[in-house]
Amino acid sequence: MVRVSRRTFLKASALAGVASSLPLMVNFNDFARAAQEAPITKIPTMCNGCSSTCGKYVYIKNGRVWKVEGNPINLKSSGKLCARAHGMAADVYGLGRVTQPMKRIGEMEFEPISWAQAFEEIGNKLYEIINEHGGNSVMWLGHGGKEHYASTFLDEIGSANYVTHYATCFSSKTNVWDRMVGTMLNSDFDNANYMLFVGRNFAGGIIPGVMNRITKAKERGAKVVVVDPRYCELAIIADEWIPIRPGTDLALFLGIAHTLISEKIYDRSFVTNYVYGFDEFWSANKDFTAEKAAEITGIPAEKIREIAREMAANAPKAFLDTGYHGLHAHYANSTQIAMMNVVVNALLGNMFQVGGLMPSAGITLGHVETPQREIPEKGPRADGAGVDDEYPTVEPSRGIPQIVPDLIKKGRIKALFIYHYNPLRTAPDPEYQKGLKEADLVVSIPVDWNETSLYTADYILPESYYLERTEPPKVISGFIAHAYPQIAVRRQAIKPIHNTLPLLDILKGITAAAGYYNLYPFTVEEEIKASVKPLNIAPELLMETGCLEFPASVQPGFPMKDGKPALNTFTGKVEFSIGAFKLYGRQGVATWVPPLVMPNGEDEFRLIHGKQPWHSHHFTCNNPYLMAISDKYNGTWLWMNKTRAEKLGIKNGDLVTISSEKATKEIRVKITELLHPDCVWIPSAYGGFSEKLKTAYQEGINYNDFIPARVEPLSGSVMGQEVIVKVRKGGNS
Amino acid sequence: MARFAMLIDASRCTGCNACRIACQMQWQLPPERYFNRLEHRERGIYPNAKWEIVPIQCMHCDNPPCRDVCPTGATYKRTDGIVLIDSKKCIGCKYCLAACPYGVRQINENGVPEKCRFCAEYIIEGIMPPCTSTCMNEVRVFGDLDDPNSKISKLMAKKEVYQLLPEKGTKPRIYYVKK
Repeated sequence: MVRVSRRTFLKASALAGVASSLPLMVNFNDFARAAQEAPITKIPTMCNGCSSTCGKYVYIKNGRVWKVEGNPINLKSSGKLCARAHGMAADVYGLGRVTQPMKRIGEMEFEPISWAQAFEEIGNKLYEIINEHGGNSVMWLGHGGKEHYASTFLDEIGSANYVTHYATCFSSKTNVWDRMVGTMLNSDFDNANYMLFVGRNFAGGIIPGVMNRITKAKERGAKVVVVDPRYCELAIIADEWIPIRPGTDLALFLGIAHTLISEKIYDRSFVTNYVYGFDEFWSANKDFTAEKAAEITGIPAEKIREIAREMAANAPKAFLDTGYHGLHAHYANSTQIAMMNVVVNALLGNMFQVGGLMPSAGITLGHVETPQREIPEKGPRADGAGVDDEYPTVEPSRGIPQIVPDLIKKGRIKALFIYHYNPLRTAPDPEYQKGLKEADLVVSIPVDWNETSLYTADYILPESYYLERTEPPKVISGFIAHAYPQIAVRRQAIKPIHNTLPLLDILKGITAAAGYYNLYPFTVEEEIKASVKPLNIAPELLMETGCLEFPASVQPGFPMKDGKPALNTFTGKVEFSIGAFKLYGRQGVATWVPPLVMPNGEDEFRLIHGKQPWHSHHFTCNNPYLMAISDKYNGTWLWMNKTRAEKLGIKNGDLVTISSEKATKEIRVKITELLHPDCVWIPSAYGGFSEKLKTAYQEGINYNDFIPARVEPLSGSVMGQEVIVKVRKGGNS
Repeated sequence: MARFAMLIDASRCTGCNACRIACQMQWQLPPERYFNRLEHRERGIYPNAKWEIVPIQCMHCDNPPCRDVCPTGATYKRTDGIVLIDSKKCIGCKYCLAACPYGVRQINENGVPEKCRFCAEYIIEGIMPPCTSTCMNEVRVFGDLDDPNSKISKLMAKKEVYQLLPEKGTKPRIYYVKK
């Protein structure tokens, strides 16, 4: 491996420093004029204020990031940006960043080391661990979605242990759609006449392109109905807000399905031609009437029937949005909720139909040809995802991140690489998650001093900020139906301002030092070139525009082959009954499953959470601009229904004590008419406890403090809203 | 001659605050200073409740009380209607802060009041103010009322509009769409 000595590095950065500073000026006025008249460059790239990767332009003036603007072509941004996109661009200069490689020397103490030393020490330790315990004792734990470099590494050492954050977010959705439909479909906002959103707040978990489409659809007369225990931001622009008892969305879906079927207003020809398992579903659910749903959800039966009838009347230009974080990881019945989402949409016959649900247009990118390597056989997954006698129906491609401390305790995992992920704050039970540090080797690759790095990492290897990196192009897809495929690229807007590296270089260094030579025989520029080669476009064109659109590749109509339905499922049809669930002794069709816990006493509430429009869960919480918004609007406060608050003698702004079996915390309360009485609500952003992140430190509380690390057996999710808290007036002293 | 104005459809605002921070970046303001804010209001009783948000910023009034009380002429109104502050003339008396019925002025680190400038330097080049261009819900429409073909002129002709605190006689250049 090529080693960079500390001295060479210093020499190089000194030179870079001279080159980037302004020429010497005679006086301040000259300086000011030169600064003002400096040319502005506009560089296209992709946002990382959340994981939606909107296309945006970065304006650079005097070598500094000035401002950002949405790329109008990119369908996620559609020319618009949210607060996070602006704030997180400024955060390239944030004080919370890890500025150079760090090695732990004490409980909370680190010393800066060179990249060369970091690679050598980590490489040697990794070599020892693999020799002694095998490659399968190594785990890559990350947010997920873009770490193809990690797969190369895990394949080489024979590890099956690639684990993502999805169990804390939406794993029941991906699990179920893959089995029932064989693909993921997305709402056709542009053409729908009736849109039902249940537990999905696009104005909180923002995709600007989606909100732009929803508000435009409203202009042309589409109806928008929002079902949510909280009057979420999306409800503001909706025709109707229907509050629902939290944890009972499954009953609503069953009630809608029952109305569609019993009133014979479902799409019978769609069901006959393209659905497998309808009879099995109906015989298991024919007693689950709208009345029964009303009893459980608190929504009047007539309202449930009205929704079903209006959807049927507008079908196929009507959809139940396929949802996201809100319903797909947080309840004991989240898997059945996801199944019923498929069922309701299929009964409307809206799949592969204009104005209903359509696939995302895809396009195949090329890749760098690398020499074939001998790949060792992988062991079983340490988290048991997809393993017969553990969690057989959980997707191995996503895994079960919340139980990793147990896997370390059991001796299954010895070396842990954590990439852009902060389970100590974003997974259940932070005290339990601190057990990650018991692995023989813990390497965290973050951009900032997040809780996980500070409390558990032996080494912190800072990745360059997203505005400092160039990455291979990706196909833009998800959440929005679009017939035209798009590709977009993340392009370096400014040179790294600290001693950081992109992930590719970090992995090149570690793997070479561990004895895996030339595992990544390419540069990112070569990757970009290879990616666009099959598309017959010059890589320069993509780099100049940031985003390119290609001719339509999606047509409406159910996928057929030789006159038969040809979905990627066993029968080629939409399967209401999941064979794999039956195989492992579970029911194949969705039926009513009650939530795990229910509030009873006068001081008991279900604790629910959601994304605040200007924060991406905890990731943005150290940003002074975004936190100034939180300060102005009392963003950290706990929401409580007014009638419930009055019974407890709690007034707006009061300090309360909130406790579960896991934690007791203090927080101020916002009293509101905009929340179901059964629950209290907090934004998912707060509760920072890394002393190195000064702006986020000890601001507000986090729902993860209150929940134990559990696993929903079918999809592996955390069941993050299956928790009852007691709330009483006054502080904890 | 241009007659710049803004039309705000508050019923489209979902409170994401992109307008606030896009403006802060444009003008390189520190985190705690901002030129536009959101007023939140709840109406009704659960479950028949509503959440309303109204974006507020300098109204660029045709009768600006901030200008009228300024003892040095630091606050002035351009012929195109934009109200600006000449920091060199300002003595920091803060009369304007007290006079503004919309509460949109803030004191900067040099003791000079600041507020929304309607992005004066940019709009003459045809660049939209970032509060307007970044908004996913297209809450704001900015433009020239003297140009009958501008989007704002066309919308104003079609929609019923109102102004905030008309009883103050300030004649704001920001109009709101009536629900």
